[in-house]
Amino acid sequence: MDPKKKERIITALIILPAFVSIFVFFYCFSGWNFFISLTDWEGFVPSYNLVGFKNYVALFHDPLFWISFKNNLLLILIFVPGVILVGLMLAILLDQKVRGEGVFRTVYLLPFALSFVVTAALWAWMYSPRVGTINVLLEKLGLGFLKSGWITDPNIVMYCIIAALIWQFAGYSGIIFLAGIRSIPGSQIAAAKVDGASTFTLYRRIVLPQLKASFTTAFIIFMCFALKAFDFIWVLNRGGPGYSSHILGVSMYKETFGLDKFAYGAAYATIILVLSLVVVVPFLRRVYRRE
Amino acid sequence: MKTPKLSRIILYILLGLFAILSLLPLWSCVVTALKTSKEVILTTPVTPPLRPTLAPLMESLDYLKRPLINSLVLVGSGIMVSCFFGSILGYVFSKRRFRGSTSLLILVILCLYIPPQVQLIPMVQTMSKMGLHGDLGSLVLLYMLFGIPMCTFIFKTLYDEVPDSFINAAKVDGAGTWTIYRRIMLPLSVIPFVVAALLQVTVIWNDYIWGLVLTVGKANLPVTVAMANLKGSFVAEWNLQMAGALWVALPTLIIFIFLGKYIMRGYAGM
Repeated sequence: MDPKKKERIITALIILPAFVSIFVFFYCFSGWNFFISLTDWEGFVPSYNLVGFKNYVALFHDPLFWISFKNNLLLILIFVPGVILVGLMLAILLDQKVRGEGVFRTVYLLPFALSFVVTAALWAWMYSPRVGTINVLLEKLGLGFLKSGWITDPNIVMYCIIAALIWQFAGYSGIIFLAGIRSIPGSQIAAAKVDGASTFTLYRRIVLPQLKASFTTAFIIFMCFALKAFDFIWVLNRGGPGYSSHILGVSMYKETFGLDKFAYGAAYATIILVLSLVVVVPFLRRVYRRE
Repeated sequence: MKTPKLSRIILYILLGLFAILSLLPLWSCVVTALKTSKEVILTTPVTPPLRPTLAPLMESLDYLKRPLINSLVLVGSGIMVSCFFGSILGYVFSKRRFRGSTSLLILVILCLYIPPQVQLIPMVQTMSKMGLHGDLGSLVLLYMLFGIPMCTFIFKTLYDEVPDSFINAAKVDGAGTWTIYRRIMLPLSVIPFVVAALLQVTVIWNDYIWGLVLTVGKANLPVTVAMANLKGSFVAEWNLQMAGALWVALPTLIIFIFLGKYIMRGYAGM
């Protein structure tokens, strides 16, 4: 056999097992999930009758779907810009030739090391109305009037969750931006300084415009996270009180595994997938068109 | 002696403030885990325990012992398989491009962004068919596959830094795809393997939703699911909850404190 052809076959054989398993697990399963969403499967035993888009029509008439959608939108609109801004701020602070930079960086990153199960337990304790850290500290600091029910108050529970998630991801966001800042050629910054640029002007005119890639990366990562989020809220308070902190992931889980409405849950999942793809696909196309 | 400028003082105050915010929940967790139930009520959540006790840590360890071992099994099996496959795919995508390889690479990277929700139902179905639903084995299988795209991406990125000239010389000598991988790429792969493995350890150890959906019964639970159950069963016993959280948190905290440099190389490009 022609050696070149032989090489090609070997290459194909090496990557095939891994590629097939990925393909089945990620793509066939996604497709299968979509198929299930077109059936009337309820109860634990699979039974399929195709019913077309009936589940989606029902979904769009379901108040719980709209509550979840609205909460998810709130999460996206506050969490994503919030974590990007805090991260950018941390990165700029860390970029000032700080003594002990490594220590600060590690400290800021620690929350990101934790499982959502752990952070949910931690924040349940922080927010606990009677004995929790925040209310007790407020009282000790003479700020007792700021005490609140936090995650037991349906009006602010989403904001409490968002604050905790920003806490968890701020360090990671900071590292993304710090890497971006550090990749700007030092000569540009030196030149700007020679021209007498103040620190503020330096960042506004030279640094920020070159952080486009970091902004995009952070945006994609945190958007996708916000769309599929589930663990933290589920462990913290099961989407409560009432339905006040249900987001799409929480409702999907409850419909599917709580109420055994598999087809309906699959429709939820498909919507989460479509929203994620809308965010990611244009980004990937832009990144890889160059190659 | 030069007095420090005001702006420097403000800078360090801000950095310190963020550090305190970052550590406060963890600090509160540690001190509470070391208190008796009585002391939890009598002292504030941030004061160190007057008489530290290990009882909550021991009691929660008793509850989490089996799940901790389960999670170790998951991490061990998961990283071996996904790193191995990831390394091979990363090598082909980086050094053995072929027509259509970029499209395939995009398909692999897209997997990183597919929400787990769309795989939950088909996976539960498949595992039931295989008779593995509820069993730890289903999670073992899952984590072997689940990490491949992420590992592929890490290996591809790090292999891109290896100069092509290394490989071209071997090609001239007539070495094939597999030989080049084994003789040249693998020996250069220590750091990529460390980065990918550490990342997988963190991801698998911290994962919750898959364990929640796929495993049943205490003997099969991964530690995160057991911890969430502990939180639900001992609602008012904060010291026990915090002690449990501490056990779950410990391995990844250690990784981030001592090996953070490596793990962030993996996260940096994603």
